[in-house]
Amino acid sequence: MAPSVERSFTAASTIEEAMAARRQGAAVLAGGTWMMRDPRRGVDLPEALVALHRIPALSKVEIAPDHVVIGAAVSHAVLGRALHGAVGFEGLVAAAENAANPGIRRVATVGGNLCALDFAAADLPPALLVCEATVELETFEGPKLIGISDFLKDRHALLAEAIVTRIHLRRDLVASAHIRLPLRKAGDYPVAIVSLAVDKDKRCRIAVGSVEPVARRWTALEQAMAADSASAFDPERAAGLALEHNDFQGRDGKEAEGWYRRQVLAPLVKRGVAALLKTGGLA
Amino acid sequence: MTVIFQLNGEDCRFDGDPMTPLVDILRQERFLTGTKAVCREGFCGACTVHVDDEAVPSCLKPIGLVQGCAVTTIEGLSSGNQALHPLQANFEAADAVQCGMCFPGMVMSLSAFVRDNPHAGRAEIKAAMVGNICRCTGYERIVDAVADWLDQARMAGQVVRGIHV
Ligand code: FES
Ligand code: FES
Repeated sequence: MAPSVERSFTAASTIEEAMAARRQGAAVLAGGTWMMRDPRRGVDLPEALVALHRIPALSKVEIAPDHVVIGAAVSHAVLGRALHGAVGFEGLVAAAENAANPGIRRVATVGGNLCALDFAAADLPPALLVCEATVELETFEGPKLIGISDFLKDRHALLAEAIVTRIHLRRDLVASAHIRLPLRKAGDYPVAIVSLAVDKDKRCRIAVGSVEPVARRWTALEQAMAADSASAFDPERAAGLALEHNDFQGRDGKEAEGWYRRQVLAPLVKRGVAALLKTGGLA
Repeated sequence: MTVIFQLNGEDCRFDGDPMTPLVDILRQERFLTGTKAVCREGFCGACTVHVDDEAVPSCLKPIGLVQGCAVTTIEGLSSGNQALHPLQANFEAADAVQCGMCFPGMVMSLSAFVRDNPHAGRAEIKAAMVGNICRCTGYERIVDAVADWLDQARMAGQVVRGIHV
């Protein structure tokens, strides 16, 4: 067992209490599934921590006719159950229900998944990118809303003085899908992830995770598909365009080399479009 | 930090580092060595216990997050002198266990699963086992034993809203 350490640990019951601990330099502890492995990565655990799991406002999913609000402390398992069957969120549900393994999904939170800075293979970022989610932060100056793309790009700096509190989603999608390629059928980190969504104007949104260090929208492919409108609903044509407009730099990693991650994107787009066509919104 | 929680139905107090993994307290302080620390990364499932009735990996659970929770380990399902949990009895009857290293975690994951999913089929049983790695059995006999137990429970009419563990 670790030698006895005088570590400060606050289980905040309000956002204000959590921010007060943050001001004192406490690191945020979500489910712990990423941080608890820090010592194995050669990183010391923080000396001061603030846990968010006792803040009721961060532990629920609110579903309204035109929007959804997800608390940062909601687990993957709870998110998957809450949105199961909600039209347009098929991709987000698949991301929440297939990440890692069942035990981890019961513990790992939405906020933790978005804030694990070195976790390139996280499932929720690409799924939330195609939802065009808005991330709500509590900063030292008060609440702040930021688009998910900007959040992911700047989160290193943003999180130095903020806590992710909620994720806001519009209900403007008719269908979505989340395709992941682990090396084994389940339980592995995915080599590559492609999330796709179709909005009410039949425009296709596509995001890629795990290929580069941070998930991002595939705007080159989105534009090519918009210019060739039939391709959004034709798996072969979409895969052809994906091959032509592949502008990713694959990252080398333990599970796979960069060239392979890049190479599998076109087949994943093909699977993704086929999955979109099977959803209730497009079938 | 002092953490108070319930362990197999009894009050338990821990004084020390709040980031100590629950598995270490179970094994090294409480001598509940049924829970195994194998990968310590959330991949193998050998350390699975119930925290507030949910099956979770105890290697990644800092004790600070366990304050006020109820923890059940494999020893809490049956002391060994009592009747086994029906799932354990079925594994034994089906001779599903080989080296046994993975089984405490397997039983803790699957006992919560059958409680919540009494109508599960083989595909759902396999999906529930994704985080429990077994190096010996090839899994099929475990799946058979769980499916048999669910069939028996259904036939015996034990399934109303779930199987009680
Ligand atoms: S030891 Fe906890 S999952 Fe392997
Ligand atoms: S019986 Fe040996 S690891 Fe499962």
